[in-house]
Amino acid sequence: MILTNTEEVPGRAIREFYGVVTGSTVRSKHFGKDLLAGLKNLVGGELKGYTELLHEARQEAVERMIEQAKSLGANAVVNIRFATSSVAQGAAELFAYGTAVRVD
Amino acid sequence: MEPLENNVSPEHPLGELATLVLGLALVGLALLAVVWLAVEGAVRWLPVAWEERVFAGSPLESPRARELDTLMRRLARHWPENAYALEIEVVEAPAPNAFAAPGGQLLVTSALLEQAASENELAFVIGHELGHVAGRDPLRALGRGLLVSLALAAVGGDEGASLAASAAQLGERSFSREQESAADRFALRLVAAEYGHVAGAADFLRQLPDAGEGGAAVRAASWLATHPRSAARVAELEALAHQNAWATAGELTPLPAGLRGE
Amino acid sequence: MSPELIQPLFDFGVPLFLLALGYFAGTMAEKSHYKSIRVRELRLRRMPTTNLRRPPPHWRIEKVALVAGSTVISVDYFKRFLAQLRGFVGGRVRAYESLLDRARRESILRMKEEAAKQGFDAVINVRLESSNIAAPLRNDRGTAGVEVLAFGTALKLIRQP
Repeated sequence: MILTNTEEVPGRAIREFYGVVTGSTVRSKHFGKDLLAGLKNLVGGELKGYTELLHEARQEAVERMIEQAKSLGANAVVNIRFATSSVAQGAAELFAYGTAVRVD
Repeated sequence: MEPLENNVSPEHPLGELATLVLGLALVGLALLAVVWLAVEGAVRWLPVAWEERVFAGSPLESPRARELDTLMRRLARHWPENAYALEIEVVEAPAPNAFAAPGGQLLVTSALLEQAASENELAFVIGHELGHVAGRDPLRALGRGLLVSLALAAVGGDEGASLAASAAQLGERSFSREQESAADRFALRLVAAEYGHVAGAADFLRQLPDAGEGGAAVRAASWLATHPRSAARVAELEALAHQNAWATAGELTPLPAGLRGE
Repeated sequence: MSPELIQPLFDFGVPLFLLALGYFAGTMAEKSHYKSIRVRELRLRRMPTTNLRRPPPHWRIEKVALVAGSTVISVDYFKRFLAQLRGFVGGRVRAYESLLDRARRESILRMKEEAAKQGFDAVINVRLESSNIAAPLRNDRGTAGVEVLAFGTALKLIRQP
C-alpha cells in the first residue's frame, strides 16, 4: 500500500477514487510508566514513555486506515493527515485519515 | 545553510524569574495596602447594629452555652461601651480553641472546656475573644479576605481565581499579632476587674506547646505564624499586671458545675 | 526541631527545592538536547525538505512513502512556575517557547532520519501537528508536556538532483 501526505502520488497518475478512509485508536500506558512521567514533570526532558505510546498508536491507526483502503480495492492512500488528542489521564487518541485511490 | 535560531527569546530564565517575582511582590504589597486601608475605613463606618443584623445566628441551644453566657455577661459588665448583644455557643471539637465571629458571636470548643482548670482561665479566654469583638477584628478579617480574593480573581484571571479561594480562607482565619496582643490586654483588664486578681489567667497560654524556651530559630518561625509566641504573650501579660499593680496570686474560682465533666 | 518551625520550613522549603531541581535539571537537559539537535541538523542538511505539495517537476521519482517523527517533551517544575507567574502579567512565555522549539526540531529530525534509514532522498509536504499532553495528576490543570508530530512524503529519486 502506497502512502503519501501529498494530494497525488508523485510520478504516478490516479485512476480511481474510493473516498475517505480513517483509522483511529486510543492507547493508554500502564501505571508504572506514568509514575516516571510525574517525576519528569519536575526535571523536564523527553517523556519517552509517551513518545512510544504515540508511536504505537500512530502505527496502529495507520494500519487500520490501510485495512479500510484494502477492503475498498485501493492500492494507495493520499493526502494523509493526523490528529492527536489527550483524552484521559495517561491515554491518547490518534486519528489518521486520507483518501483511498488506485494509481498506475 | 541552517536558518537563524531565533524562535526562543534570549532572556535568561533566572532574570525573568527575578523580574516577575519582584514585580508581582510589589504589586501584591500595594494591593494589600489598599485593601487594608479600605477595610479600616469601611469597618469604622459600619455600625454594630448592621453587623449584628447580617451575621447574628441562632439563640442558645445547650445548657453549657447558657452557663458560658452567664460568665460572659459578668465579664461584659466591665466593658460599658459594648454595643453588641453578644452570643456564645459550644462546638464539639478535639482541639482546645475559641473563636470570635462577626456579629458579636463567640464560639468555644468542647475540648477547651474539658481542659480548663479554673473559671479564671476560662474567663481569660472568653475575655480575649471579647477583645477581638471590641476591636471589630472578625469583621476586618472577613473584609480583608473578601477583598483580597476579589482583587486576585479580577487581576489574575485563571491563575488568580484558584489562589483567591485559599487567600480568602487565610484572610478570614488570621488576626494580626497586634490584634492578638490587644485582645490579651483587654482580657486581662476584664479578669482583674471581675476577680480582683489575675491569678490563673495566663494558664491557658502556659499550656500551649510553644510556651517553652526556644532559640532564635523558633522566634523567627513565630514571625511567620499569626499568633505571637505564647511565652512572649505570657511575658507581656505579666508586665501589664505589674504595671497596673494587679495581684498575680489569689484564690482560683473552680469551674461552675454545669461546665465540668461531660 | 520545634513544631512551630517545621510547618513554615515545609511550606517554603519544598517548593524552593523543587524549583531549584527543576531549573538545574531542566537547563542541563535542554542544553544537551540542543547540542544533539544541532549536530544532527548539520548531518541531515543535505536532504531537501519542503512543505510544498508537489516536488520540482524535473525530479524523476522511483518510490514514495509516508514518514513521520514525533516527540513528547515535558515541562519541568521551574518552567511551569514561571508560566504561572506570566499568567498574571501576560507577555512572552519564554519557558514554553524552548519546549516547542525543541519538540518541533526533534520531530523533523526523526522524520528525516526515518527517511534516510529507508534510503529516501528528500521529504516533501512536511506538516506539523502539536498537541498538549494533559497533566496526569495534582491540582494544576496545566500541561504535562507538548507533543509535536512531523510527517511528510519521502521520495526516492531515480537520479540525485
